[in-house]
Amino acid sequence: MARFHNSKTKVFVKPIVKKQQQQQQQPNVDHITGNKIPKSFVFSRGKLPGPLRQLQMDLRKLMLPYTALKLKEKKRNNLKDFLNVAGPMGVTHFLILSKTETSPVLRVAKTPQGPTLTFKIHEYSLAVDIAQSQLRPRCPQDLFKNPPLIVLSGFAAADEQLRLTTMMFKNIFPDIDINTVKLSSCQRIVLLNYNKDTKLIDFRHYSIRLQPVGVSRRIRKFVQNHQVPDLRNLQDVSDFITKAGYGSESEADEEAATVTLTSDLSRVNRASTKSAVKLQEIGPRMTLQLTKIEGGLCSGEVMFSEYGNGGNKKKPGNEEGNEKEDCEDSDDDDEADNEEDMEESEED
Amino acid sequence: MVMEEGSTAVGKRKRNMGKKKVKKPKNKKLKMLEGKGKKLRVSKKMRNLFEKRARQYNSDDDEEEREEGEEALGDTRIGRGGDNSSEESDGSEEVEIQPGVMKFTDGVRAFRLAFKNIIKRNVADDSLGPVLSGHKQLVAKKLAEEEAERKVKGEAKKEKHLVAEKGHVKPANYLGSHEKFLIGIATKGVVKLFNAVNKAQKAEKGLDPSRSKDAKGFIAFCYTIPFILLSFWQALLEIVGDLLKLSGNTSSDPRNEEEPAWAPLRDNYMLTNPKLKNWDKTAEAGIADDAGRMSGDSGSDD
Repeated sequence: MARFHNSKTKVFVKPIVKKQQQQQQQPNVDHITGNKIPKSFVFSRGKLPGPLRQLQMDLRKLMLPYTALKLKEKKRNNLKDFLNVAGPMGVTHFLILSKTETSPVLRVAKTPQGPTLTFKIHEYSLAVDIAQSQLRPRCPQDLFKNPPLIVLSGFAAADEQLRLTTMMFKNIFPDIDINTVKLSSCQRIVLLNYNKDTKLIDFRHYSIRLQPVGVSRRIRKFVQNHQVPDLRNLQDVSDFITKAGYGSESEADEEAATVTLTSDLSRVNRASTKSAVKLQEIGPRMTLQLTKIEGGLCSGEVMFSEYGNGGNKKKPGNEEGNEKEDCEDSDDDDEADNEEDMEESEED
Repeated sequence: MVMEEGSTAVGKRKRNMGKKKVKKPKNKKLKMLEGKGKKLRVSKKMRNLFEKRARQYNSDDDEEEREEGEEALGDTRIGRGGDNSSEESDGSEEVEIQPGVMKFTDGVRAFRLAFKNIIKRNVADDSLGPVLSGHKQLVAKKLAEEEAERKVKGEAKKEKHLVAEKGHVKPANYLGSHEKFLIGIATKGVVKLFNAVNKAQKAEKGLDPSRSKDAKGFIAFCYTIPFILLSFWQALLEIVGDLLKLSGNTSSDPRNEEEPAWAPLRDNYMLTNPKLKNWDKTAEAGIADDAGRMSGDSGSDD
């Protein structure tokens, strides 16, 4: 039976190899800073219901551009298959979605040797839901062409699991070198906010938009849209400039949310002008709870568990057991190395 | 007319053979019979019979035809039930002589027996019989059962859907206080980063002259230097020429003089082009004209 399985998986791995050729265009190393670019796989274990599958797709989009957007997975693929492919492709992180009776579960793992953070998804909203809730959803074409920024807030506590979470999420996106980065490439931001009281992590994904400050809304729109303004109700052309606009003029740009640009960002946002930073959510939205940290990749020593200490508590769901089998043999022997690796990553 | 009718039914072996005068109803019957007894061979006896009939038909006219036909067939008939009122039946019976075809009377009796049997049969009340109106309760029961089944199924489906949707929350249309708070945090982060980037890149710019605007201006200025020099050179040549003229040493033919090989250094550079000749004068004149039109005292300009 096992042999049968293997032969089948080989058949499947083929398309991934093709994908690898495609992705080889993407550099493994940032050519300016020389840092290693983290890459990720987002996949699922076990059968997911429709909304969760959508969430998986949203997460893939969020992880763009250094992820496999069209990663194909089969039921018979075990974690080892992904691991085997991850090595040559330079994939450094796995985001694994699975489902239990109680709630969906997101696991964030570093390859090839862990650690693995297990989050329980208390609530989630898809990007579609969020777009539907908005009056004017915004999606510029090159929104997903650059990696997002990441903002972690509230993780200041000295707990080790929080520090580990911080490190994990910091390293999941490419580093930004403030000397060379182009501000126009900063289009998205991922926010992780830890709430001390509830111990929940709010996961949000926003698009960044800059608007010139000190210009009336009308003129801004005129410059942005290139449309002939409606002058019917005005006495004179000068009214168009001097008369205050309506409505949203009141949402005064707070001083805190303005930046002064040094270089031209776009046609409207020129150098040495003040621009307001506006964020609009693009989703997905998740409320996570850190439940477990394992030393290895979905296995190994349990370093932290929300439900009591030690690994006595096994999560419901049969796929957990399967994966344990999958990677037990690979991870048992280098558990000691894991510890060192982790310490290294924390120092970084 | 007869022949025509026959021709319409080409391929009907019996009729061609018999060349009868055939009325439509008879025709029908024959067709039917033919379909029924295709497998049967036409026996010699039959053939004789048909020939005989054909002869009779040909000799007689239409009215007599049927009666004679009946008479002729009279001996072959076995117990006409008397119930067959139509004359078409004779055609059928004449063929029913063939072996293997049930006689009409037998068929009637068998049918009667079968029908009686069905009528006599006593159907039990409890099972769904042929008469549905008698089983209202049963039908209702069945329907109710189905309904319940569907309900259970629907509930199971709903439950499954609920499990699938677990944790899935549709966001509100407005920004809640928590969302605003989160956006505030994110904005703060972005502003911090942008400011840091700007600070870093500004410092970089200050060090690197090629990037600043002044540098650009300088480069542009550098590009204009050759032209400035050229115009300066031309002006110099002009002055020298004037001086030469003034001193009276004007040469009879300037072309004999040694002229520079490079065109821009020649006196008449660009002046050979008629368009460019007097370019400054025409422009001035135009301005003067405008000025003159606008205000009367244009003399000061000239």
